[in-house]
Amino acid sequence: MVDAQLIRDAGPLWKEATSSPFLEAAAAGTLPAQAFRRWLAQDYLFARGLVVFQSLAAAKVPRDCHKTLLGGLVALDNELDWFEAHARRLGIALDVPPHRACRRYTDFLIRSAHTEPFPVLLAVLFGVEVSYLAAWSALRPTGPYAEFIARWSSPAFADYVTALGGHAERYPHPSQQEYFNLVLQHERDFWGMAWEG
Amino acid sequence: MGGLRLDEALWAANQDLARACLEHRFVRGLADGSLAAEAFRRYVAQDAFFLRAFVKAYAAALARADDREVAAELDAFIGGALEELKLHRACAAELDIDLERVAPGPACRAYTDFLLRVAWHAALSETVAAMAPCMRLYAWLGARLAGSARPENPYRRWIETYSSAQFQQLADRMGALLNRVAGDIAEVRDCYRYAMQCELDFFSEALG
Repeated sequence: MVDAQLIRDAGPLWKEATSSPFLEAAAAGTLPAQAFRRWLAQDYLFARGLVVFQSLAAAKVPRDCHKTLLGGLVALDNELDWFEAHARRLGIALDVPPHRACRRYTDFLIRSAHTEPFPVLLAVLFGVEVSYLAAWSALRPTGPYAEFIARWSSPAFADYVTALGGHAERYPHPSQQEYFNLVLQHERDFWGMAWEG
Repeated sequence: MGGLRLDEALWAANQDLARACLEHRFVRGLADGSLAAEAFRRYVAQDAFFLRAFVKAYAAALARADDREVAAELDAFIGGALEELKLHRACAAELDIDLERVAPGPACRAYTDFLLRVAWHAALSETVAAMAPCMRLYAWLGARLAGSARPENPYRRWIETYSSAQFQQLADRMGALLNRVAGDIAEVRDCYRYAMQCELDFFSEALG
């Protein structure tokens, strides 16, 4: 598991952002189809917003962060293909309006990408990915959603997250913790939306 | 809605949210003076945070304006918003609020993140569409509450500010600016409606 000072200093928010009845139900195979379909469409919209954020962030970070962020962008683009393929297979519409929690999260990301300095953006991106890694890798990759669980708990994804954490640590900034915590609040609210609608 | 100007059409299309604001417990509390002082303090503090973002959004819009008259209008709005911030400072001092230490709540942050995301990332038309509802809504609430500005109402000054002829004119100018820079497209409608929703959430957050 990835360890970082930002996680340790986030307090109870860390657990709130990385555990949810939605995840538990996904692992147990008891997730209502409606919740899964809602999550898939909203997570796709979120990923679209994340591409915008990460493109802007990649334009700001120093040279030694390029490979990680640009590689991450290519992986994100593949992930969008993957989401689209799943949506087609399951007949899930992706051109839906964003739920409020999704909209708030992507507005936050894109606003920050424009207004915050790159060390803060590194902490934001680390927060987005490390919380996702922690949330999914806490589950056993079995049942109908095994593919999803495996995707975000893979060693390759963990390596990417570790590299992001290293960049954030190498370029400290007084606002990193505040923004890392804001990411965790959005993660918590997003899981809540996925579960409750 | 043939024949309506864009600002009128958008305002008409969002009457459900306008009414929800008018009937909101926070606004009813301003009208009858029953609003808890703590809720008003929270509101003023959050509003100052919001206004600072509003100034920046105007400035970002100005940076995108090719038309000099549009630029001059945006410049005037920036001046007005900075003046309003000064009033806030005085009001906050009276209420013993330290504006530098305001921690905005999620609804306030969502509104400012939205405004600044649009201002930095989207078109001028969308930025103005995101900013116009605040002005139109407050002018309308002010006019609807004008009869409640009785001497014994502790929130008299708020009502007088937003029901004043000066503020009504400001809202009209904002509407005219919207008509000038924006067309009736989905993105503009979406920005306008989401800003109205943010206004409603803003009142709810102040109630705590």
